[in-house]
Amino acid sequence: MGGILAATLLLAASGYFSGVSWLALSDAVLRTTYRLALAYGIALVLGVSLALVVGWSPFTDLLFPFFDILQNLPSFALIPLFIYFFGFTDLMIILFAVSSIVWPILFSVLTAIKSAHTDLNDAASIFGARGIRRILYYLAPLSYPAMLTGSIVGIAIGWESVIGSEIISSVSGFGAFIKGADVTGISQAAVAGMLAILVIVFIVNRLVWAPLLAGSSKRYAE
Amino acid sequence: MLNDTNHSNTSSGALLVLSRVSARFVDDKKSVYVLKDITFSVPAGAFVSIIGPSGAGKSTLMRIILGFMPHESGTIVRNFKRPAMVFQNYALFPWLSAIDNVAFGLKMAGVPKAEREHLAREKLKEVGLAHLENHYPAALSGGQRQRVGLARALAISPDLLIMDEPFSNLDTITSEALKQDLLEIWRQYGITILMVNHLIPDAIELSDEIIVMGTHPGHIEKTLTVDLPRPRDTRDARFFKQVDALIEVVRTVS
Repeated sequence: MGGILAATLLLAASGYFSGVSWLALSDAVLRTTYRLALAYGIALVLGVSLALVVGWSPFTDLLFPFFDILQNLPSFALIPLFIYFFGFTDLMIILFAVSSIVWPILFSVLTAIKSAHTDLNDAASIFGARGIRRILYYLAPLSYPAMLTGSIVGIAIGWESVIGSEIISSVSGFGAFIKGADVTGISQAAVAGMLAILVIVFIVNRLVWAPLLAGSSKRYAE
Repeated sequence: MLNDTNHSNTSSGALLVLSRVSARFVDDKKSVYVLKDITFSVPAGAFVSIIGPSGAGKSTLMRIILGFMPHESGTIVRNFKRPAMVFQNYALFPWLSAIDNVAFGLKMAGVPKAEREHLAREKLKEVGLAHLENHYPAALSGGQRQRVGLARALAISPDLLIMDEPFSNLDTITSEALKQDLLEIWRQYGITILMVNHLIPDAIELSDEIIVMGTHPGHIEKTLTVDLPRPRDTRDARFFKQVDALIEVVRTVS
């Protein structure tokens, strides 16, 4: 009975998606995923480094409101600026995504540093964690769980930024693919594309974020 | 007998001298004194306890002594070079195993890996936790965490060990065992210990000198010398007499 149902569903699905160009879809999804991965990598290095240096410096309270204003700027309102400087290119989409992903990472890490228990800060100081050593051996590991949660939020925003900017600029990628597939309704290609993105998000979550979060909450438990 | 101590006569050869130290907390709206005219000295090799009610500024005083908080007026003479601290809430680094926590200070001092691991292992052995060196703080009990905290402090060979209510989160059996280990370590290393404590019998059992603090603002109410011979018998009539006398002093302060 189960076999018959599965076979029926498979036939129905292959029939429904028969007109989809899988090659074009794979290419579009891969381009978008590659841009997101690269943007995330840059945003991670930038956000964490900036947060560690600012969190370590005596100017944290001074710079916090400044960053707060910057992160509140609606990122899509700035897309003409990115197009003006970088054109309709890969680089434009990647840097635009970086400008969205970086904030949740930076704020998560900065908040973790600012809210660290006084005793833990004192312990790090008493036992000699000063200067660059304080950043490397105390602040960086201290903010690791925050970096993870900031990354998860950042990547969710990053998908929107990359796909959104692809739709706006029509630079080839998943955004341009679904725009081209059907701008007036949901076509088979657009449905297939959305399913593909859902599968990627699900796999990354299960294989990367879930184990890292579980490990972090176990290790950092009080 | 508990005797009043005159610190103006005991500051020579002292590891730490505080003279009329005052401090205040300032926020947007108001400024309040947390400590007022704190004067005492800690002789090298002594075991000194500070007791007093909550809000007397005992922990703040420790932070000022270590230079983590500024004081408004008065003088602090720090004749120590390597202070270490054991915290009430352990303050272990959760991302490091027991042995790496113990070796943290050595790593920051640039001690080579093999040497610092050897030293850390020795310290863990001294506090009875050699078998748990690869455990992370989350997997350790309160008593075990405090022992790791003590081993971490001892690993840097401190000349002043500050302990902020180290037994207050531990059950009686664990704190009793840790107390005996601490006394043994104190005898063996000859370290100067300054301990914030709120348990009167513990203060009498451990200390050469007890500083009683009062509140609003935090100030020294009385400084007393404990002249019972060591090792101290906590079931001895003289011990109870001293406990009673100190309770009376603390009652007046509270």
